Amino acid sequence: MSAELMHGKSAEPAVRVRGLNVVYATSQGDLPAVRDVDLDIEAEKITGIIGESGSGKSTLVMALLNSVGKPGKIVSGSVMVPGVGDMLSIDRERQRRARGKELGLVFQAAQNSLNPLRRIGHQVLDLGRSHEVRDLRDLLRKASDLLTRLGMDADRVLTSYQHELSGGMRQRVGIMFALILDAKIVILDEATTALDMLSQASVLEIVRELHKERGLTTILVTHDMGVVADMADRVVVMYGGEIVEEGPSGSVLSHPAHPYTQGLIRAIPRISGAIDRAVPLPGAPADLKTYLEPGCPFYQRCAAAMPKCQANRPTSLTVSADRKVACFKVTDHD
Amino acid sequence: MIEVEHLQKVYTTKGNLLTRSQVHAVRDVSFRIPDGGAISFIGESGCGKTTVGRILAGLETPSAGVVRLDGADIHQTPTRERRDLRRKIQLIHQDPYQALNPAHSIEQALSAPLQIMAKQKSGSPRAWIRERMDEVLTMVGLEPASVLYKHPHMLSGGQRQRIVIARALTVEPTVLVADEAVSMIDVSLRLGVLHLLRDLREKLRISLLFITHDVAAARYLGQGGQISVIYKGLIMEQGLTEVVIAHPRHPYTQALLSAVPVLKGLETMGADRFILAKEMNAQSDAQAGCLFADRCPFAQARCFTEAPALIGEDHQYACHFPEVRQVAAVAAE
Amino acid sequence: MSMRLPKTVLHNRSANPNFRQSFWGFAWRTIVKKPGRLIGFAIIVLFALMGIFGPYLYPAQLPINPNAIYAPISWQYPLGTDFEGTSNLALVVTGARYVLFAAAMGAVFTVVFGTILGLCAGYFIGLTDSVIMRITDFILTIPSFPLLVVLSTVWNFGQPVAMGFVLGITGWGGLARAVRSQTMSLRERGFIEAARGLGLSPLYILFREILPNVGSYIAMNLLLAVTGSIYAEVGLFFLGVVPFQVNNWGVMLNLAVFSAGAMSSPQALPYLLSPMLAILILTLGIVLFLDALDEMFNPRLREV
Repeated sequence: MSAELMHGKSAEPAVRVRGLNVVYATSQGDLPAVRDVDLDIEAEKITGIIGESGSGKSTLVMALLNSVGKPGKIVSGSVMVPGVGDMLSIDRERQRRARGKELGLVFQAAQNSLNPLRRIGHQVLDLGRSHEVRDLRDLLRKASDLLTRLGMDADRVLTSYQHELSGGMRQRVGIMFALILDAKIVILDEATTALDMLSQASVLEIVRELHKERGLTTILVTHDMGVVADMADRVVVMYGGEIVEEGPSGSVLSHPAHPYTQGLIRAIPRISGAIDRAVPLPGAPADLKTYLEPGCPFYQRCAAAMPKCQANRPTSLTVSADRKVACFKVTDHD
Repeated sequence: MIEVEHLQKVYTTKGNLLTRSQVHAVRDVSFRIPDGGAISFIGESGCGKTTVGRILAGLETPSAGVVRLDGADIHQTPTRERRDLRRKIQLIHQDPYQALNPAHSIEQALSAPLQIMAKQKSGSPRAWIRERMDEVLTMVGLEPASVLYKHPHMLSGGQRQRIVIARALTVEPTVLVADEAVSMIDVSLRLGVLHLLRDLREKLRISLLFITHDVAAARYLGQGGQISVIYKGLIMEQGLTEVVIAHPRHPYTQALLSAVPVLKGLETMGADRFILAKEMNAQSDAQAGCLFADRCPFAQARCFTEAPALIGEDHQYACHFPEVRQVAAVAAE
Repeated sequence: MSMRLPKTVLHNRSANPNFRQSFWGFAWRTIVKKPGRLIGFAIIVLFALMGIFGPYLYPAQLPINPNAIYAPISWQYPLGTDFEGTSNLALVVTGARYVLFAAAMGAVFTVVFGTILGLCAGYFIGLTDSVIMRITDFILTIPSFPLLVVLSTVWNFGQPVAMGFVLGITGWGGLARAVRSQTMSLRERGFIEAARGLGLSPLYILFREILPNVGSYIAMNLLLAVTGSIYAEVGLFFLGVVPFQVNNWGVMLNLAVFSAGAMSSPQALPYLLSPMLAILILTLGIVLFLDALDEMFNPRLREV
């Protein structure tokens, strides 16, 4: 409980998640996808949520917006956003308004989040109307300013259809949509995954600049440790639907505590240092079976696994200032 | 040994008769890979690197230039021999979800090419096929009994890519073309597949052409090999992997190296790191000077009027003003 | 010990099942999953049995009863009787063979022509494609029913195979087009490129790599072609352009309307409605069963 006190002294978190549980209804019954997640997203910081496919990171993010798609279902928990309330219990209309105005979401470029049949400018107006913006002319001006800020020819983009834009440009348009209603919390869900290195670098650079300029709270969801390591102030590592490690990015990267984080960092090919420092992580990512196991989700792949880990699930505990780990190996020592 | 000389590929885009235009996917690419050697092609999407791989694998014909495998031109040999020759060069697709037939079990996927190979072998074909199936699967790090009867949708991305590699190995290739072979695989499994490809290079002396936009992956896989940095179908810089990454001379190579994320806590940012803000403009092809000049932060007047030639001995680069910049991250400690 | 041995053998087999064994088991599980599919399947099986064994259930010459001409529905005559006092049920059951056999043949011909030509056109793009597609367009532009009417005047349709062949010839165009477009999108997929790179023969690629992936589509078309063929041939008999040689549903409809005047005299109505009811139930069965086919032929849904 000392953790609560420690957090208490810093500023109020921009998003406070408590006891969040999300399940997927399948023919074999309800499968847990996000389990007992407690998370504070610090205001005006970049938080990186990292995990592989099937780690539950995207489900977690959708749960923050209370828009988990079927067959997913939020079972319990709360998502407190200052100025909005609990996203999971306020009425639908207020939720809808909060999405976009308070919480902006940027999808993966490949996911075609733009309407292919309408010009970008029209879609800006649609968004404005659905959020009851009075001055649509002003909204367009804002869109145009933002696009220019993102390094694009605003007039051209606003009159284009999405297929006329490259992947990197589409991604920037996505960022424009997330910011146009002055959202203070921006969530980027695998926003750079489909891009090549150069576009990724320039999009990330823009995110970094806008984050500073506008005092945003940015949540980066990705499977790429490199992106998180480069951008984020805090890292949240997810595995098998749970947060296994959390802490400031520098300290997590240089001294990872959870065996999964350690393995993941070791498995990054790097352009610096000795080549053979990179070691593959054995085993397969968490799947449906993993979710049903009673023990630690990483048990199957863990080199340091103990008998205890197979039957019991470690809970996330604070190990040092600002760092939490869910691993018996680490938490049992003290 | 595979040799490629002055490869060119021009596509004519469809349109009406008047607006038909030509796209130069590959302008002039030459390289050679010794047995067991490796060359990595790095560049952003749309730079022509994939086309080079597809030409090598025989899926496209070059507009000009020669591809020679152990002295034989793979695009000029008679049809009958060509099939055998092309089998020696296998393409590993970027997307392991597309590269396996969803209707076939792994056993079916592997036995089809093995049946062809069995005709060239003596002894009982059935026993040989069994044995060989087990052999290639073990080689790629999978347990034959647990995957043979499975269908692709039951496997993870990493396992699928291993099956794709195993299938390529059934025909005893001498060259593997890996086109972004790990970009669609879960991060924790990526290095495992790269490691496997590196192993095959060493153990089977297979030559490797690795096509990627990820410089770090190229460094890992292409150890001791070459790197070719390609932009708009033209080689910008070419040399030993270690040398090019440590001392890049071309601004485009430097931009690619700068784009690699810096691992905070483990690395410090390169002193001269810069991020290219401008995107590639496919229309500005016809310019007289350097193809990269319109995006290059260091371009000078000469760059827009005169195309630089590829100069240098072992470490070649096509730039009027080559300058070593410290852009790559440096390991902390 | 001897008791334990078969168990282990069984266990091994279930751990490494043969594709064929698992396919039938899988198909059955797919059908039982929803009651609608099971009903559809039962109807299809019932009609198939009727086509095969129906004529053996009754004497070659169906009994006539002059006292029960146009008899109403009763226990003795569940579907009433015709103008000679013959049971309508017996007529429907014995008449099923010609109709169903011809329809099945028609569907098989449609699917075989359509699939092979569609696959070839889609895979060997270029000249082959152009030639096949021009022929397909030609076939598609011919109004098939009038053509059938014309053909039936010169051709003897006593044999259901001949009828099926003609139905197939006129009906494959649409399927060929659809198979072609699916093949064209499949040939760009990685696994087809890989198969070419491995030096597998075009025949293998066409029939072993591509065909299984359009399997569900073809199977659905096969069933739909059956209903299409039934409508076409029953229509031909109804119009009376084909000489009657054997009793079948189309002949019943024709006689009911043109000889018995079922449109005006209500007593002949059961004679008209009984073949229509048969067609209706069969169509319903096929439509209900179609739902199962997609799942059955989709390898991604198969769990081992």
